[in-house]
Amino acid sequence: MRLAYWMYEGTAHHGVGRVMNSMRNTHAVFHAPQGDGYVNTIFTMLERTPGFPAMTTSVVSGTDLARGTLRLPETLRQVEATRHPDLIVVVASCSTILLQENLEIAAHQSGLACEVMVYDANPYRMQETAAAEGLFTALVKKYATPQPLTSLPSVNILGPSSLGFHARHDLISLRRILKTLGVAVNVVAPWGASVDDLRRLPAAWLTIAPYRELGRLAAEHLEAQFGTAALYDAPIGVQPTLRWLDALLETLNTVGSRLAVPPSPLKLPPLTEFSLDGMSAPSNVPWFARTADMESFTGKKAFVFGDATHTVGVTKFLADELGMPIAGAGTYLVKEADWVRSQLQGYVSDADFLATDEFQQVADRIGQLRPELVCGTQMERHTGRRYDLNVMVISSPTHIENHLLAYRPFLGFDGADVIADEVSTTCTLGMEKHLIDMFGDAGLELVEPAAAESAEPVLASNGNAAVAPVAVVAELVKPTNGHAPEEQSSNGNGSALPTGAAPSGQTAAVPAVNPVWTADGEAMLKKIPFFVRGRARGNIEKYAREHGIATITAEVLLAAKEHLGA
Amino acid sequence: MPPKAQFTREDGIYHSFCGLVSVGWLYQKIKDSFFLILGTHTCAHLLQNTMGVMIFARPRFAISLLEEADLSSAQPAIADQIAEITREHHPSVIFLLSSCTPEVMKVEFEGLAQSVSTPEVPVLFVPASGLDFTFSQSEDSVLQALIPFCPQAPPDDKRVVFLGSVNDAIADDFLFEASRLGIPVAGFLPANHFHELPPIGPGTIIAPLQPFLAKVANQLTNDRGATVMSSLFPFGPDGCRAFWEDLAAHFDLKVDLSEREAASWARIKEHTDLLKGKKVFLSADTLLELPLARFIRAAGAEVLECSTPYINRRFHARELALLDGVRLVEQANFERQLRSIAEEQPDLVISNIITANPLIGHGVVAKWGTEFIFSPIHGWAGVNTLVGLFTRALRRHARLDPLGSDPVWMAGVMPGAPEIIPLTRG
Repeated sequence: MRLAYWMYEGTAHHGVGRVMNSMRNTHAVFHAPQGDGYVNTIFTMLERTPGFPAMTTSVVSGTDLARGTLRLPETLRQVEATRHPDLIVVVASCSTILLQENLEIAAHQSGLACEVMVYDANPYRMQETAAAEGLFTALVKKYATPQPLTSLPSVNILGPSSLGFHARHDLISLRRILKTLGVAVNVVAPWGASVDDLRRLPAAWLTIAPYRELGRLAAEHLEAQFGTAALYDAPIGVQPTLRWLDALLETLNTVGSRLAVPPSPLKLPPLTEFSLDGMSAPSNVPWFARTADMESFTGKKAFVFGDATHTVGVTKFLADELGMPIAGAGTYLVKEADWVRSQLQGYVSDADFLATDEFQQVADRIGQLRPELVCGTQMERHTGRRYDLNVMVISSPTHIENHLLAYRPFLGFDGADVIADEVSTTCTLGMEKHLIDMFGDAGLELVEPAAAESAEPVLASNGNAAVAPVAVVAELVKPTNGHAPEEQSSNGNGSALPTGAAPSGQTAAVPAVNPVWTADGEAMLKKIPFFVRGRARGNIEKYAREHGIATITAEVLLAAKEHLGA
Repeated sequence: MPPKAQFTREDGIYHSFCGLVSVGWLYQKIKDSFFLILGTHTCAHLLQNTMGVMIFARPRFAISLLEEADLSSAQPAIADQIAEITREHHPSVIFLLSSCTPEVMKVEFEGLAQSVSTPEVPVLFVPASGLDFTFSQSEDSVLQALIPFCPQAPPDDKRVVFLGSVNDAIADDFLFEASRLGIPVAGFLPANHFHELPPIGPGTIIAPLQPFLAKVANQLTNDRGATVMSSLFPFGPDGCRAFWEDLAAHFDLKVDLSEREAASWARIKEHTDLLKGKKVFLSADTLLELPLARFIRAAGAEVLECSTPYINRRFHARELALLDGVRLVEQANFERQLRSIAEEQPDLVISNIITANPLIGHGVVAKWGTEFIFSPIHGWAGVNTLVGLFTRALRRHARLDPLGSDPVWMAGVMPGAPEIIPLTRG
């Protein structure tokens, strides 16, 4: 048992709900206590669903348990009567699974005309991603039917789903590209697909499965069972999109050449045809990366953390297309860690790679690195606020602020522009930064009280306490006593909460106390631009500890600045 | 005998949160507390998603996470976690909340709490699981756990204790009003700090501020011999007048607040003019629904239906009496409610947070009931906020271009439901 606060992944029943809510005429029934229906809120609030999410809780109450009442058959009948689904998927919750009831029998007893599937998702063994991928794969296996290929080139797009990260936008981007190529879309699933659509999957020439998390196993099944070619790469960034286009066309032309009546081969049209007006650059990233303004990005380090697909795609994009150094990367999908690590060979060393689903370990790593840019999830925004760092969200889990109205894909040429815009607006600006560095506050200093307030837990009590030094301490501890990161985290896990109190378990292991700032030291620190001041404070304190300095005076600060080359 | 109110109970297939959600306001109200939930990934995911708005606050709650290996042990070991919480948060009291999984495992919570409780930092068991508790109901459990720590008041200590968590501004308002009327106040349960709990004894008058605290009120009568005032809850001009007049009567003070009530109604006339004759349907889960329906009815609206998770005949007696003739439903069946809404075409639905957007998508003007829980709607000072919550959605929708009601503007938003059909008759 451990103390926990933030969770990267949702629960298994949330994963089931995501697949069912993506599809047409399907419905999830949760055999669960009433509160477990909270997952509905995530759909109606984050996705602003104008319809009722395709999920119903069949309530299990304490009284029901005492009396042996099972409401499931009645709920199933009600769902069939009101929603007329083709398929109902029943799933137990973390509490009801312990009752070891036979839900298959209960489902059969309800005497429904529609299909009912009891999906065995043990919430103690699988979470959101595994449950969604497992269910979707099972459905594709169940329904996909042998049939002839379409006469003209066509593809399936597997993976876009309800509450998938920018999924709707990615789908638009992919559809735009395919339209430009003259390739028809056979089936998109689970997004908007009916059970009948799943039956039609094998008619496509090729399956596009850009997400490592959802759709990949179904594409593998189609490949193995029906010989449907598959393209598993995620076209994130301009170069990957170009390579992806080549692979797509080559495979489609190969499939076409085997047909009895081969259609004329597909060709890559002029790249300008992929732009919105059909006459411009399909992406502005290659030119943007070469502009003088991007000079100020030289040497700016980024840390990337998220699911598998976006961690790999965004890390490579930052390194290859914007030229940013990568301070580290990682994923909370621990089961995908090997894949992510292998994909990032040459970008991130094993030492700089992090695979954990414990929020605090990620926060600690970010605290140690203090990168100029953090690409993460909603949780890393939380961490960035504590350390006063620039954070952009590149992966689920998200906040309502990440569910914007405008077209903001991550895939394709359009996606490259979106990511690059997000990077440049998240990081401090170029020439303006020099002005501020040279001449002080540029009138921006007034903003500081608000910024200082938000970072209050970090900078509390003259920067002496709190989380920032803890992270540094953790780093100092590591080489000397050889603690594994896991041990440190279970030890100091409570500081996942921005407590402002130093976890005593760790500080005890460090001889040096946190240095104290003198008035002239603080005054000197004030002259450092406010938006880097938090990071500067951390670095200077780290320097002081490493040099056994207990009091930070103006002199120490200048020495530290010189030492750090800042 | 309380009057026999007419209400129906349906099958409880409805959308709601479990009692853990109460932590969202209670950890902020009791400033030296810590809330530890013995639960699973589900509980953590729930809190994260329902309290996500507060992420930059300094939370004093956490989940003691039950994982697969913990399911086989008879009694979970939480001593280390309690020590960690004590060390890092220095709480004066730790509430140990149950959840569904340990309830099913039959964890003996009372014993577990006692085993880690110390005189310095008591650990108090709070039943809150979704198997038995809805939304705000677990505040009732938290307050019951606090009773033993309220000092015993002598029999001749005749003062009022306000029951229910309200913010400081509302508390000040109630203190001010009581002193104006000459009513002596012993304090609030809960207080802002664990060691500020009010003395309670046979002379204490308990004045409930929230309608979801029936059990703690009852227990204060049983344990301490306190008198629980039966009145309206202090929402709206009508509720406030009854509340203060009844409370004054307990102190043998004859008070006539008819002018005060009239002035209060007059101040919100702009709102009540808008509400007059409007058909309102309450289908929410906060347990505030009965007094809200009573108020909106007094304000001139027609209440088509009022459903709420639980109705307590005795604790809600006065509210029920004023809702005579209104269709009252306990544990409503939401699918049946959708048919009723389609049939009766309400002008405004007070819904829960889960169903608000879909209702709006189906052409209904809906308002989150949840917002009433998080807004200062108590007392005379809260009247404007209270009525404004009802009229805001009506006004906003009235201002929007009707062009936006065309289903085309929702096309593609929801993958599984490309077309949303408005809820219409027949």
